[in-house]
Amino acid sequence: MLSTYLSFEIRRMARSGRFLIFALGLPIGLYLLESNVVGGTRDVDLYLMGGLAAFGAFKAAIDVGARTAVERGMGWQRQLRLTPLSGGGYLTAKGAVAMLVALPPVAGVALAAALASGITLSPGGWLLTVLGVWLGTLPFALLGLVIGQFATPQNLAAYQGGVVLLLSFLGGLFIPVTEFPGVLATVAKALPTYWLGLIGRAETLNGDVTGAAAVLAVYTLVLGTAVVLRYQQDAARAR
Amino acid sequence: MLSRMTHEVEPAVAVRGLRKHYGEVRAVDGVDLVIAPGEVVALLGPNGAGKSTTVDLMLGLASPDEGEVALLGLPPREAMVKGGVGVMLQEAALLDDVTVRETLEVIAGLHRTPMPVDEALRRAGVEELGDRRGALLSGGQKQRVRFAMAVVSDPDLLVLDEPTAAMDVESRRDFWRSMRDFTDTGRTVLFATHYLEEAEAYADRVVFMRAGKVVADGPVAMVLASVGGRVLRATVPGARLEGLLGLPGVTTAELRGERAELHCSDPDRVLRELLAVHPAARDVEIRALGLEEAFVRLTAKESA
Repeated sequence: MLSTYLSFEIRRMARSGRFLIFALGLPIGLYLLESNVVGGTRDVDLYLMGGLAAFGAFKAAIDVGARTAVERGMGWQRQLRLTPLSGGGYLTAKGAVAMLVALPPVAGVALAAALASGITLSPGGWLLTVLGVWLGTLPFALLGLVIGQFATPQNLAAYQGGVVLLLSFLGGLFIPVTEFPGVLATVAKALPTYWLGLIGRAETLNGDVTGAAAVLAVYTLVLGTAVVLRYQQDAARAR
Repeated sequence: MLSRMTHEVEPAVAVRGLRKHYGEVRAVDGVDLVIAPGEVVALLGPNGAGKSTTVDLMLGLASPDEGEVALLGLPPREAMVKGGVGVMLQEAALLDDVTVRETLEVIAGLHRTPMPVDEALRRAGVEELGDRRGALLSGGQKQRVRFAMAVVSDPDLLVLDEPTAAMDVESRRDFWRSMRDFTDTGRTVLFATHYLEEAEAYADRVVFMRAGKVVADGPVAMVLASVGGRVLRATVPGARLEGLLGLPGVTTAELRGERAELHCSDPDRVLRELLAVHPAARDVEIRALGLEEAFVRLTAKESA
């Protein structure tokens, strides 16, 4: 049952050519641009690679999840509640698609860094960077679903854009947190994007990502609970 | 033999003591409704009477403050999971980026014993729209596709909320024809509608709601009779309104020029009385009160 719905959602996503190209092209383009302007040294390039891989992945995941607001606004979720598919099944399928879409940007930025900037890592290093960032995207897929369950099709763009922008900048994905003034640097460390970026540049940290993984796991738990509660609340509400 | 005699048929719909309040508003205020398998029931009432909330509560889309609902003997969600209930919601979504066939395929795929998608398309009269995306459908086409979505699970019970809204006269007729085909196989249908002539033509039974309560429930003829449903019209030279109102059996009367309209429950008797007083009365016409008039009376009554 879930597989039926999941394959339906994957086919729909596979047809969203423009969305997918943008999701992949934006972080790669930004990487190439930034590494051209401020890059050149291995440390800076690695930082940019980690930050923009994280950016591409978390933005794609949030975007996919948040788009559920449109279907919810149209009454598609209501329609599905009249089928054997459970609410959990629907959310799982959407979350899985968000994760699928999040993988190419990570791999794409890593590839761009390797090809355009000549970044070299050990096979384990690449694996940690790409898989680590990808897996670390899970709480953002959930965050997207939370936004999708709160937003209306009308105010969706504002929510989604605002959240992505704030999380990217304040999480230090574009500018290193070390350049931030005191308070802002503290704020940054509370954000999941900071820790996702950390995983992206694990190479510069001797590969220790346990702290970051722990923080992101907590975010996953909290946001997962929020999605389920909100979906149930939304299901019980009058139209 | 004994077992057959004592075996009770499970009602298709069993609603008991249903209540739902939104703050001060008693949207549904104690509704009881039992629908036997095979019945075609129309749910009628003015806007805000509680029809949609009742339907939502029945389907488990909202949870009642009080009362119980069983569909085919099961709680709503379980009945849905079993695939026994097909639903056509008024504003149910048709995804813009997905074709009609794909939508039906996914819904069929979620059910255990669906009918072939082609059959659902045919029953709804939308065979030619299979490859069309949701964004390109007209209002009437969307309604028919929604009907296909409701029947594709091959349900025993169909619940339709305003099924013919946005349809033109012809598609409305086609729609009811395909509905008839579907219900002739012994399935149960509950539909909410604003079109009283549809209820009159297609329902075995009508349920009138007003202010969250059921105010009349029965076969169309019975509901009409309950509101004293006959009208006698005649041209009565020299008649006066007071005289007409004084005739035994007349509940209300109107007089325009010589043309009199008398409301009553026993028109034969009123006709005799009328002719006794006014032998010159002519152009006599007796007809039943239409459902629309009954509707107005039932829903206007005791509004205090």
